[in-house]
Amino acid sequence: MKVLKSWLNDWIDISEISNEDISEGLESLGFEIEEQSDLKPNYSNIVVGKVLEIYPHPNADKVRVTKTDVGSKTYEIVCGAWNFDVGAVVPVALPNSEIKDGFKIDKRDIRGVESNGMICSASELDLWDDHEGILILDDNILPGTDFSSIYASSDYLWDIGITPNRGDCMSYLGIARELSNYFDKKINIKKSKLNPSITNILNTNSGKIKECDSYGSVEIENFKVTDSSFLIRYRLSNVGTRIINNVVDITNYILYDVGQPLHAFDRDKLFNTVSVRKAKNNETVTTLDSQIRKLTNDDLVITDGDKPIALAGVMGGLETEVTDSTVNLLIESAYFDKVSIMKTSRKLGLISDASIRFERGIDFNIQKYGLEQFLMTLKNSQDIKYSELSIDTKNNIKNEKVNLKKDEIKKLLGIELKDSFIKKTLKNLMIDGEIKKDIIEFTAPSWRYDLDRPVDLIEEFAKHYGFNNFSSNLPQGLYKNEKGNFWKVKEYLSKILISNNFQEIQTLSFVNKEMNTVFNPEKKYVTVFNAIDKSNNYLRSNLMSSLLDTYIFNLQQNNILNSYFEINTVFNSSVDNTFNDVPNQNVVLGFITSANLTTQDIRKSDQSIDIYYVKSLINQLINNTQLEPIIKPGFHQNYSFSIFKNNEIVGHFGQLSTELQNNFELENEVFLGEIYVNKLNLNELKLINYQPLSQYPFIKFDLSFSVPVEFSAHLIVDEIKKLLSKNENEIEIFDDFQHENSRNLGIRIVTRSYEKTYDDNETRQILMKISDSLEAKFKITLNSGNND
Amino acid sequence: MPEVNTEKIFASFLLSVGQVTKIDEFNDLEKEYLGKNSLISEERKKLSSMSEISRKKYGKVLQELSTQISERLNQERLSFQSKFFKEKELNDNKDITINWYKDLGSREHVLTSVMNEVVDIFSAIGYTVATGPEAETSWHNFDALNTPDWHPARYESDTLYLDENLEQLLRTQTSTVQVRHMQNNKPPVYIVAPGRVYRSDQLDATHSPVFHQIEGLAVDENLTFSDLKGTLEYFVQEFFGKEIKTKFIPHFFPFTEPSAEVLVSWKDGEWLEILGCGMVDPNVFQHVGYDKNSQGFAFGVGVERLAMIRYKIDHIKNFYENDLRFLRQF
Repeated sequence: MKVLKSWLNDWIDISEISNEDISEGLESLGFEIEEQSDLKPNYSNIVVGKVLEIYPHPNADKVRVTKTDVGSKTYEIVCGAWNFDVGAVVPVALPNSEIKDGFKIDKRDIRGVESNGMICSASELDLWDDHEGILILDDNILPGTDFSSIYASSDYLWDIGITPNRGDCMSYLGIARELSNYFDKKINIKKSKLNPSITNILNTNSGKIKECDSYGSVEIENFKVTDSSFLIRYRLSNVGTRIINNVVDITNYILYDVGQPLHAFDRDKLFNTVSVRKAKNNETVTTLDSQIRKLTNDDLVITDGDKPIALAGVMGGLETEVTDSTVNLLIESAYFDKVSIMKTSRKLGLISDASIRFERGIDFNIQKYGLEQFLMTLKNSQDIKYSELSIDTKNNIKNEKVNLKKDEIKKLLGIELKDSFIKKTLKNLMIDGEIKKDIIEFTAPSWRYDLDRPVDLIEEFAKHYGFNNFSSNLPQGLYKNEKGNFWKVKEYLSKILISNNFQEIQTLSFVNKEMNTVFNPEKKYVTVFNAIDKSNNYLRSNLMSSLLDTYIFNLQQNNILNSYFEINTVFNSSVDNTFNDVPNQNVVLGFITSANLTTQDIRKSDQSIDIYYVKSLINQLINNTQLEPIIKPGFHQNYSFSIFKNNEIVGHFGQLSTELQNNFELENEVFLGEIYVNKLNLNELKLINYQPLSQYPFIKFDLSFSVPVEFSAHLIVDEIKKLLSKNENEIEIFDDFQHENSRNLGIRIVTRSYEKTYDDNETRQILMKISDSLEAKFKITLNSGNND
Repeated sequence: MPEVNTEKIFASFLLSVGQVTKIDEFNDLEKEYLGKNSLISEERKKLSSMSEISRKKYGKVLQELSTQISERLNQERLSFQSKFFKEKELNDNKDITINWYKDLGSREHVLTSVMNEVVDIFSAIGYTVATGPEAETSWHNFDALNTPDWHPARYESDTLYLDENLEQLLRTQTSTVQVRHMQNNKPPVYIVAPGRVYRSDQLDATHSPVFHQIEGLAVDENLTFSDLKGTLEYFVQEFFGKEIKTKFIPHFFPFTEPSAEVLVSWKDGEWLEILGCGMVDPNVFQHVGYDKNSQGFAFGVGVERLAMIRYKIDHIKNFYENDLRFLRQF
């Protein structure tokens, strides 16, 4: 809400308080300052003039020539606006003056007539948007008066945020109440002195529903639609409200001033009792904006007899609207239920200054005061006649007495408050309360909806004590530096991938259907019911699609072939393993790398890798794994593997199917994998089986076996390890040569005894034992020749 | 007695040493002047046939010459060697201003590193990491957190729902983890819950449908507003530096009371909001089945916001586009 210093000053004397102090006060009371500005006139050298004569321009039809008295002199000024007559008092920009945005005004020849300046509109002086033409001033202002002296030329404006629990602060009165405690200054409640002179011809009441607790109204006769006063237009335009006419402006003004939304009906368009009821389903009403609104039983309507004439608290109806010819008014001042107004306003997308106040809750006891202030303001500028106020109240809303134990304050806030502070705060905030020994007994005032529990009053005390006046203390939990298994596994795996030149990414969780089906055609997907982007309404079932997207994006964008990983949640519609009331969700680490990778050294060509590299990576990430081939959608028929640890699947990896590689137009083979982070345990990942080092020399043989093409090489390695299980060994395949239907495997064995140095004879025996066992077990043959 | 002219030999040696062009030539010279077949060795052979006096005298002369040559040779060799390597290095002069090694990007995502940092800051004072589902029930996201069903935050324009009855949704705040954690654990509780949250916003410079928060919760005997203040001041100073000032201003959240926003003083004297916090509302304790006299505080930090403030990142969109030009800067 925008707060103008001069306006606020009506309620609380802050003229002597610096703007900085007021800002600090507002902020410490919980009004976030979104913007603040020093208002200065956006014009200079403007005087008041009186139009003495008007005559046609000899050479132009669209403008007129005036003779205008500016005090010291009378000038001939050409003017293009037609909304004034002889005798009008207007602002004049004399030669050598400035209007909005530094625009200079000087003598100017307009089609043969010399114009000595310009007669200005409100928008030309940056006062408010006005399409009516020239700004007409009060008749009694003397020509020659400096315009800035009749217009509040300097002021200060705050735009503050009001939290949703404090609807009562959406008015100048409300803000003044808060500041009155901060600055310890009294607020000036504006008095009303009324003198009704007509009798009501309409009956009004609050209907039979609980959603309208109070319905107040007053009838006005002898009214004329005109401009509102200069002060009102100045204030409203500065708080961002459109200037319309006196009746609309004053209802808006009262809304901002005291927080009571008002509505004006043309009384002559009403014929029966005015009341409130719930709309019937499918009933319609045409609102002020000429829209036909279809209603339901949740909406509240104002009725004339049974006929709906306005959407209660949200928008007036077109049929009973005040127009230029209106002479008699019915002003409504009501209290409507918060939730009901909120529902209607949101459903119809109609959010008005009135509806946001109703939905946060207005003072349930201010309907009469709102009408009084309206009349006081209107009768100031017009000689109207008005009736007695009619207020129909059900008195259903009441704030209950609440007891706060004083020691609860210390318990929650950690500070002891003096009784004098408590009393002063209650008094200044107009909270009806008293201290009875150890208890504070209080009742919230009619404008407060946030003070119905003991803790609510503690908050109020804390705020007015000043959050920044509290001492600080640092409590600590029992388990220091214990982030837990999940977080530590995540950090452990990330570190390994980063040291292998993988870049971590964070991609959005929404995908299109295709991105799920390509890798998980079998899954039941989770969809977003009200998705932002209807084509991306799926929650992802895997991370691989997003990884591929990023890989391709950076290849196209930056010409870099890189490796990536992401650790995030994937979803499917079966029930979650941990929480049985939500869809299944698992944190997965996904990675992607490519057969060719851009090297860091620009002088060198790409580095190439293959599935064996990915396999070694898996071994780095997770120790003691077993791999098993698996057919997986989106993956290569032969290069796709499940990763087992302790007989449980903890992930999978493989090569992107060549068909998809072709469809994505990828030049290089791509390798992808996923690891199920929640299935891993950090202590197991860090488990190391230490091999003691033998103190004896090694013996080494390179063996070559002729094996079938389909043979799995690790079988030989495992068998040799078994045969030499008492030794310290390094056993490696160093060659795999295939030619048509023949295949040779080269195996290097380096072994050391823990007990002795092998002599030639023992070495030969070991070699014989290995070759004989392997030949016998796998039906393979040791190639003669280069074995040693 | 035939004696060699030692001065002449030494002069000839000096002449040869002066002409050396390669380090190996020092070995040749050593052989020539001091080796088996050198003049000095030849002369030494003659000593045995000399009288004792002559032998001693001539022997001494030869020994001195040999020492002189050998010392000088080593000296020259060392200086030649050092000159040689100096010259070698002078000739090897690469233009180091060229960056042949390009930074391709191999690091944590900036959001992850900010989250890790925050987790580390809190784990140092005894907070453990808690997690909860991202696809949540409306009850955990709203009702349990004291946000009734008519509350505007629950409108479909703000929240992404998974079903037409609006019973399941994508959590809009990590505060849901507070609820889940308290339902399953007794006090004392000291947790942080980093994770993804979702809102119904298009991805643009200032909005994202996905973003990250870190929720903190402490429930323990006698925790007060002063404890909340001290905890968050500690966090701000650990994260932004000891010289950063903080202030607390009142705010409103349905699930805390009193509630506050924390602002930090930034470079140009500007105050920036960095987190929301408050004392846990008694209704929340009631919803999770805790004793109604329980006491504690909660806070929530926006991870993107922390990163944007610290690194002056201008577009939230950058976090999720994963352009290497962005990722490799952190």
